[in-house]
Amino acid sequence: MGTNKLMDKLNNFFDLSENKQKTKQEKLLKIIHKLEEKKTALEQKMIKQSEIDETIPAYHEMSEELKVLSKLIKKAKKHSISD
Amino acid sequence: MFKRLIVPLIFLVFAWFIISNNDARTIIAGIAIFLIGMHYMENGFRLFSGGALETVLEKFTSTTPKAIGTGFLATAVVQSSSLVSVIIISFLSAELIGLTQAVGVVFGSNIGTTTTAWLVSSFGLKIKISQYALPMLIFGVIMQFSKQLSYKGLGSVLIGLGFIFLGIAYMKDGFETLKQGLDLAEYAMEGYLGVFVYILFGAVATVVIQSSSATMAIIITALATGQIDYINALSLAIGANVGTTVTAVIGALASNKNGKRLAVAHFIFNIITGLFAVVFIYRLKELVDFLAPVFSIASSDYAMKLALFHTIFNVVGVLLVAPFTNRMVRFLETLFQAKEMGRGQVKYLTDEVMEIPATALAALRKESIHLYDKSLEAIAHAMNLHRHEIFSETAISEVIGQSNKPIAIDVDKIYQQEIKSLYGEIIRYSSISQSYMDQEGNKAIYELKLTARRIIETVKDVRELQKNLNYYSKSHNDVIIEKYNKLRSQLVSVFRKIQQVRDFEGDEEDILTQIEVQKVKSKEHEAEMNHEIDALIRENKIDSNTASSLINDIGFTHGISKKLLKSAVTLWVKEDEIKELGDEYGHE
Repeated sequence: MGTNKLMDKLNNFFDLSENKQKTKQEKLLKIIHKLEEKKTALEQKMIKQSEIDETIPAYHEMSEELKVLSKLIKKAKKHSISD
Repeated sequence: MFKRLIVPLIFLVFAWFIISNNDARTIIAGIAIFLIGMHYMENGFRLFSGGALETVLEKFTSTTPKAIGTGFLATAVVQSSSLVSVIIISFLSAELIGLTQAVGVVFGSNIGTTTTAWLVSSFGLKIKISQYALPMLIFGVIMQFSKQLSYKGLGSVLIGLGFIFLGIAYMKDGFETLKQGLDLAEYAMEGYLGVFVYILFGAVATVVIQSSSATMAIIITALATGQIDYINALSLAIGANVGTTVTAVIGALASNKNGKRLAVAHFIFNIITGLFAVVFIYRLKELVDFLAPVFSIASSDYAMKLALFHTIFNVVGVLLVAPFTNRMVRFLETLFQAKEMGRGQVKYLTDEVMEIPATALAALRKESIHLYDKSLEAIAHAMNLHRHEIFSETAISEVIGQSNKPIAIDVDKIYQQEIKSLYGEIIRYSSISQSYMDQEGNKAIYELKLTARRIIETVKDVRELQKNLNYYSKSHNDVIIEKYNKLRSQLVSVFRKIQQVRDFEGDEEDILTQIEVQKVKSKEHEAEMNHEIDALIRENKIDSNTASSLINDIGFTHGISKKLLKSAVTLWVKEDEIKELGDEYGHE
């Protein structure tokens, strides 16, 4: 066995890419959890606001933020599966 | 003619000396091998630590005691005060830490270097370390074939340790055989005359070898083999400490102001410590005798006692000098003042930064923020806005209403003379520092390069916008003025949002959400304005020329907003996993 082949075997043995993938997955799950928490809080805030007035700019802003949060969650979930 | 022959002549004499003298050859070869080992260890730790050393040095230096502790630990682990110094100078240049913290690290690093003496006197002399040296070299060389930088680094550390151990073994053998023919101990000198002579020897040896650790290794092996007297060895150790400052000062002559400031701090520290050690050398010797049993050091084990002496006098030095750190920092700041910076000059990128991946990235990020600030200034002025108004609490409509006078500014000139040169330096630094980085580092650099390019493009875009803005601001058609004011309002809201993000101290998820919301708003604003222009054309309120100018300028404004918001993600969101969620992240 040549030195390069031996080193490839050693590299595979010590391969850290699997660990890195795992850490990335864990991070993404945490991010999804945080984003979902923010989304839930925002939804509750919007429900309260809708009972008072839905036409104010603040409500419109909240609905835009909600759309963005949903998009981010969707993308994060996609990343967590593909990674 | 004679001058040119001096160096080759010295080499020839030196070659004759080492060829004709077996024992000297063994000792000098030991020193050379030891130095190669230090070199390998230093380079190995750079690769092996993968930025961990830099992270520790940056994070755990908030107070002087912490900085001293971190400097001690970092130097004790990597066995190289010069590596720690290089990193600290690069941190100072990139403004990652302040001078007070850096001086603290230098103090701690001085105590850290004393661990070499412990290593040599305990492992180096007590066990047959050459037996361990060879396997280390073998495994180190095998690991050099690895494709992963961290294993290559670990391999270099093993080779370094192997060579250091081998070097010590050679020195020890050399001194032992030398003793059979020549007893250097016969030249021992008593009293203060001996102290001064040997301090001078220690200092000169360190200046010549350029390593106090190597000098300490020689002193300890010579002492252990009985070639030098104990009190003379103590003086040599003080000399090594003084000599290392000369090396640092010579090295700093070509360095930037931060390097010079640290070298002078190092010099002051070692001179004060050295003076103290000289005055109290006999008292310190007694203190070592008193403390030796506490560390289970036998009274006849002079090598270990020397290591203890070396540590004690450096610790005392820190205790003496550390309370005056702030005064010293003020003095150093007045001694080497920052030069007035030209407008198109880089602020954070220095040569010291390039080779250290984590610091290079941090410096490049800071320089890109500097580029952003410069570009923001140009864009704001081109849009007849002042930054203090943009970032005030005043409502946007009021800000726009108040600032309607054209600001005399040549954006093209600013772009050519300031922005472009700054961008060019960022690209140059990125390209050079990329060669020292792994895959992840390269990805981060690519992102920063892309960001810098986006930022300068916003200045190019605003040049077109400015021409029309100033032309139509003189128009009697209120509708056109109102539309241009709307574009200006759009840019102010983007600037304010980015500033909010910069000042925000919460979750990065929130930062990204805020930026993404602003991107959506900007898109909506573009669509809304295009509809308005369509309506104005239909209602015959603007002619086709004005309409085409407005449509182009809506495109420019939206483009500037989009590019700045994308740049904000790279510059102010640190976590890669969060950044990658951004809309069109990484796309040009």
